[in-house]
Amino acid sequence: MTTAPGTLDVVPFPDGPTPDDQPAPAARVRGLRKTFGRVVAVDGVDLDLPSGAIVGMLGPNGSGKTTLIRMLLGLTRPTAGHVELLGRTGDDLPAALPDVGALVEGPGFHPFLSGRDNLRRAAATEPRLAGDLGAPVDAALERVGLTEAARRRYRGYSLGMKQRLGLAAALLVPRRLVVLDEPTNGLDPAGTRDVRRVIAELHDAGTTVLLSSHLLAEVEAVCTHVAVLQRGSLLVSGELSGLLDAGAGELVVTTDDPDAALDALRAAGAGPYLRDGGVVVPSGPLEPPDVVSALVHWGVGVWEVHRRRAHLEELFARLTEEDA
Amino acid sequence: MTTTADTPVTTRTHAPLGRLLGAELRWVLRRPRTLVVLGLLALVPLAIAIGVATAGGPPSGRGPGLVAEIAGNGFVLPVVALGLALALLLPLAVAQAAADAIAGEAATGTLRGLLLAPVGRVRLVVMKSAGVVMVAVLAVLLIAVVGMVAGTVVVGGAQGTLVTLSGTTLGVGEALGRIALVAVWTVGQLLAVGAVALAISTLTEHPLVVLASVLGGLIVFGVLSAIPSLEWLQPVLLTTGFSAGTDVLRDPLPFDNLWSSTIRALVYIAIGLVVTVVRMRRRDA
Repeated sequence: MTTAPGTLDVVPFPDGPTPDDQPAPAARVRGLRKTFGRVVAVDGVDLDLPSGAIVGMLGPNGSGKTTLIRMLLGLTRPTAGHVELLGRTGDDLPAALPDVGALVEGPGFHPFLSGRDNLRRAAATEPRLAGDLGAPVDAALERVGLTEAARRRYRGYSLGMKQRLGLAAALLVPRRLVVLDEPTNGLDPAGTRDVRRVIAELHDAGTTVLLSSHLLAEVEAVCTHVAVLQRGSLLVSGELSGLLDAGAGELVVTTDDPDAALDALRAAGAGPYLRDGGVVVPSGPLEPPDVVSALVHWGVGVWEVHRRRAHLEELFARLTEEDA
Repeated sequence: MTTTADTPVTTRTHAPLGRLLGAELRWVLRRPRTLVVLGLLALVPLAIAIGVATAGGPPSGRGPGLVAEIAGNGFVLPVVALGLALALLLPLAVAQAAADAIAGEAATGTLRGLLLAPVGRVRLVVMKSAGVVMVAVLAVLLIAVVGMVAGTVVVGGAQGTLVTLSGTTLGVGEALGRIALVAVWTVGQLLAVGAVALAISTLTEHPLVVLASVLGGLIVFGVLSAIPSLEWLQPVLLTTGFSAGTDVLRDPLPFDNLWSSTIRALVYIAIGLVVTVVRMRRRDA
């Protein structure tokens, strides 16, 4: 990103341009802050959405997720800081929006129109669509499983159907970035599966996805990256696998004689303990082969030994408790 | 700017204006309350026609008023109907359209979708204004046409002519011209109300606030114009010119009030649009 001398429309980021060997992030924010009166909703957030990633944004209610998204999309002006969306900044930000699909703060549609007519109205405003609008509208309805209900009035839609229609509007055009704010609100298990499928399809097509959610399992299941917000501040962000491995290391032994296993491991110098019927060996002096041989020599029947990956839930609990 | 493998159909950054306007006008016309309001407005000339037809001769005890003028003079009916409706019903219909246009979209969460598409913020004002203009034109046209039909069928024209308040008689062509003139003038007055209502609509998420403001404004203007010591305010009040429409029933046609009220309306339109654009450019959605 270079700026011709004398032009002011591109605001350079404090940390300079992206190195050439990495694709530019789909979006990034620096020092982003938003206050409503005396309430600080978002405070000094620096975040990159790597191109092609599925970024899960986590945080308790009121942690600033939606405000951050609204600033990212130009719906709200930041009190301070920079937003770059698909390479566009400042007053030029809306030029990136045709390539951005968004479902923010729940679906918004007109109750007196059918689902299909609501989408047609949305399609009429999409800069990227030309010619017949019927085909992309029908394709989007098909993709979210609303074809059957397309001609019914939005007024009569269930919460899940409304959510699906909102998703369809975000998918009217092939996008480079799709922002989904709590997309599985009100969805049944089949609907949740559909949303996951759609996110996977977007990912395969190279689209960057920003998924905000308070459902940790959902984020853990679909995301490549996570960002955790609390009280407007970013606690941590990065690749999901890296963050989870950092909190891992325990071995879990399944055996039909836990007491003997505890004795064997204590004798071998580990500090084992029981949890949920399994014997947990914290990371320490014993490598996994040492653990297994100690148990076998003691005559303990070993059914299974596995290294436990930390779950996002624990990571999240640890992060948010440390801060509290 | 690079594109993904699924190349978009176009590389435009804005949807074509014609498509936006078409979508907006279709949306306004498919909204049930628009149709209900238009239907109710069409009842105004019908009610007057029925009243005149059943009343028979001139009312006793009072001098012949404007409505009595309609008896045996059907072409007066659309003019009188427009004049009556302009006092309250037409401004409310236009205010409702303006309320739904921006505050209503904000309330249903659809304004966000329009801004994210993105429909540029100034283009959004153009698109929304077009919807309000259409409602004003349709409402006036409906009252004028229903008024003319009801006037000729129920009341009966004096052989298709119009007897003016001044006592002279105008031919069909001239009479239709006068009705067209009052219709266009009424649309102008309504657009002044619409522009102000649109400006209020950008300031709130509650359509009712817009309706209440316009209704309250009309009442306050009416009260102010009734206070003799505030006579100097008259040129500023939009409602001062609302009675100028019936001037088309005079012969020769006095243009001064029609003209001054139109200038006043244009000033209101300009102020309303400037506030709307300025506010819309800054509005969070």
